[in-house]
Amino acid sequence: MSEFTINFEPLGLRGKCKNNESLLECARRSGVGINSICGGTGACHACRVQVLSGTVSRPSTVEYKVFTSKELKEGWRLACQTYPISDCKITVPADSMTTSQRLQVEGLEKKVSPELPFQVYHVKIAPPSLETPVADADRLIQALNNQHRLRCTSVDIDTLRDIPGQLRSWNWESQVVVRNKEVVTILYQKSRQLGLAIDLGTTKIAAYLIDMNSGQTLAARGIMNPQINYGEDIISRINKVIKSSEAAVVMQRLTLDAINELSADLCAAAGARPEEILETVVVGNTAMHHLFLRLPVKQLAFSPFVPAVSLALEVRARDLGLNIAPGAYVYLMPNIAGFVGADHVSMLLATDAWKAKETTIALDIGTNTEVSLIYGGKITTTSCASGPAFEGGHIKHGMRAAAGAIERLRIDGDKVQYQTINGGPPVGICGSGILDALAQLYQANIIDNSGRIIDSHPRVRVHKGQREFVLVSEEERNGKPAITITQHDVRELQLAKAAIRTGIQILLDISLCSEDDIKQVIIAGAFGSYINIDSAVAIGMMPSLPLNRFQQVGNAAGMGARLALISTRSRAKAQAIASRVKYVELASSPEFNKVFVQANYLGPYQITNK
Amino acid sequence: MNKDLVSTIADLNEQEALKIVKDRLSAGEDPLKIMEDARKGLEIVGERFASSEYFIPDLVYSGEIMKLITELVKPQLTREEETRKSGKIVFGTVRGDIHDIGKNIVTFMLDVNGFEVIDLGVDVPEQKFVDKIKESGASIVGLSGFLTLAFDSMKQTIRAIEDAGLRDSVKVMIGGGQISEEIRKYTGADAYGKDAMAGVTLAKKWTGVN
Ligand code: B12
Ligand code: FES
Repeated sequence: MSEFTINFEPLGLRGKCKNNESLLECARRSGVGINSICGGTGACHACRVQVLSGTVSRPSTVEYKVFTSKELKEGWRLACQTYPISDCKITVPADSMTTSQRLQVEGLEKKVSPELPFQVYHVKIAPPSLETPVADADRLIQALNNQHRLRCTSVDIDTLRDIPGQLRSWNWESQVVVRNKEVVTILYQKSRQLGLAIDLGTTKIAAYLIDMNSGQTLAARGIMNPQINYGEDIISRINKVIKSSEAAVVMQRLTLDAINELSADLCAAAGARPEEILETVVVGNTAMHHLFLRLPVKQLAFSPFVPAVSLALEVRARDLGLNIAPGAYVYLMPNIAGFVGADHVSMLLATDAWKAKETTIALDIGTNTEVSLIYGGKITTTSCASGPAFEGGHIKHGMRAAAGAIERLRIDGDKVQYQTINGGPPVGICGSGILDALAQLYQANIIDNSGRIIDSHPRVRVHKGQREFVLVSEEERNGKPAITITQHDVRELQLAKAAIRTGIQILLDISLCSEDDIKQVIIAGAFGSYINIDSAVAIGMMPSLPLNRFQQVGNAAGMGARLALISTRSRAKAQAIASRVKYVELASSPEFNKVFVQANYLGPYQITNK
Repeated sequence: MNKDLVSTIADLNEQEALKIVKDRLSAGEDPLKIMEDARKGLEIVGERFASSEYFIPDLVYSGEIMKLITELVKPQLTREEETRKSGKIVFGTVRGDIHDIGKNIVTFMLDVNGFEVIDLGVDVPEQKFVDKIKESGASIVGLSGFLTLAFDSMKQTIRAIEDAGLRDSVKVMIGGGQISEEIRKYTGADAYGKDAMAGVTLAKKWTGVN
């Protein structure tokens, strides 16, 4: 068994590469973030790296296709296809790195009065004496009974280990946290009571540190979900688990480490300690939920896509490896279906969409878009496979919402005006920019309603046999390759847009609702809160309604998690929502293909178009 | 005049195409020749689709035009002419996967190019492929799949064909979303096709039809 040392530049990170391990796998284990949209099957070409020195396996057939012979000579390779056979030095170009991106934590703010899942009692007990040599914990339980008329029946084992020392050092005075008749934690009398709310997304994790008594957010932060190295979409990740059970362990570990790190950071920011966190709430889609709990996921990916569990769960944080107060619990909101998870329940809860009196569409746009229609007191929900196009995936110059991404765009005659994130020179185009581009091209008649680029504009050209519209030309980029929207990009966007519109339409159709009946459209999620609604309506991704019927609410799932953290009543509502929702499987809708084909046209959705 | 039908269909001009067909029929032209032109028109549509110039709705529309033309021409065709097919192909979306839009495009293009397609639908278990190959004596199998998970179903389907002792009597092509040469190798298929026209080209090559 040989082992090689791999040097990853420009990060300066070093990793050990085992025999028969690809560069991508080695990078993963070494904490180097290399894009791998396809999960390492050689299909996405996102994992380009350059081998600077050392010997590696010969290029595979895909690599001969992807790279020119000159590039291969220069050492360009796909990390997932390359197996080191000596120590190596590798460059990971910026394009291939899972970049730090704009991570949304803010969203609508809502208040509920706290109804905590535990109670906190101030207790002072008498020191033991030779006359009454009663055990420390027993005296604590007696004191709870005498001073607060509370019969506790058990004490968490870790807390028990702390009790003798802590009571003595605190001079027999403490705050006792009781949950379902169990002493879960004891706190110093001046300690704060904190909670942690987590929105566990496929791409991002948002965390909020909350004061449990006021409901106030003390600190918030978002990071990339480190599981991303195991594939960008959930199917790719599930596939990894099906192939190796070890992947499940590693992926759970990655998420937990990330959450532990987040909570440590948040506590540092708020001058607190993670042991003061008395409760945690996690919401995520069903796959993230299952991977977090290391529940089996295989059945999620295959028809009929059933979760291992949909009911809300309470799990001891310690059992998961979450570093918060000893004995504290993690509450997981209920799921709805294999592809509609707790995060959707959470957003329905936070936005009050679930009890809307007027006809409402509530949706969260992402690689998987979940849509609910609330009509006549009923909630129907579906999931559409919109794909990664609006996150920049499969788009030639697409990128995530990171510095240098074109995020807003206008076509004005022969000119293109744009705005980039952080205002620097453009390096690519992110979801909101891509959407603007499509709408602007359509409205300027540069593409027709079937999505075809018409050769009628000075910025339209043919490149490698394909029409494309030049957003930023080579000259405008001082000789760097132009940033363009290709005909193929437009097709990818049409698929994504059609998937979303079809989801909405099928829900309307089965409820015998028409577009005009919709009185409000609530758009949640990071992408949804940065988009121009104008553009989304223009291309027909959203119903043609007056703009004042749309609301962009930001990270509503995160808000729902915060509500559930401090309010047992909100938890009960969440369970009620999950049980009330009627899930509609698009795959089984006989109308799907017809509607989908129709929804591929740009412009307002119509029943007949030609 | 012949070229007209080809290009009007290629340009998706329904009214014009139907008019030309009617005119040519009433002029007593060989219905097979008309069908051949219509097929050529659809082939161009397929090429334009492959180059991204046309898209799914355009294809569906071309299919509708073709249906109308066939309805006009069919009464004039003898039974024998109608069923003259150049090869049998068993086609389906593999187990666990229900995506069929791409598959339907391929089977449509194969059909208009004179192949007899036995479409098994979606989420097709391995054994069903094996049974149908035996029953029909097809010489080509087409497997479609869009999920990463479909790669394994494809592999297992091909293994099942092998276990049934049929591997040498059929050629297997695969295709769909993320399929690549690497995946072809992984599954053990004979070839993969990037789009519907690639599937037609493969089928023609394997059956020796031009
Ligand atoms: C439409 C769609 C659906 C529809 C399917 C409707 C239907 N009846 O087909 C619905 C909504 C039902 C659906 C469901 C699901 N989907 Co879906 N879906 C898509 C979508 C948007 C488009 C796929 C498509 O039809 N493309 C159009 C065709 C024409 O594309 P094409 O590749 O160019 O087709 C050509 C070639 O592939 C080739 N070809 C195809 N087959 C063959 C065979 C042979 C032999 C040959 C030679 C050639 C060939 O010829 C075709 C014509 O030229 C994609 C995203 C995307 N943008 O691609 C996701 C996508 C494929 N779906 C995805 C997922 C995850 C799902 C679900 C599991 C989850 C969900 N959210 O509901 C479910 C479950 C389905 C299941 N078990 O199979 C993922 C797959 C991810 C992965 N890594 O596997 C994708 C990529 C989206 C994403 N990133 O999340 N989906
Ligand atoms: S090609 Fe997709 S990860 Fe390497």
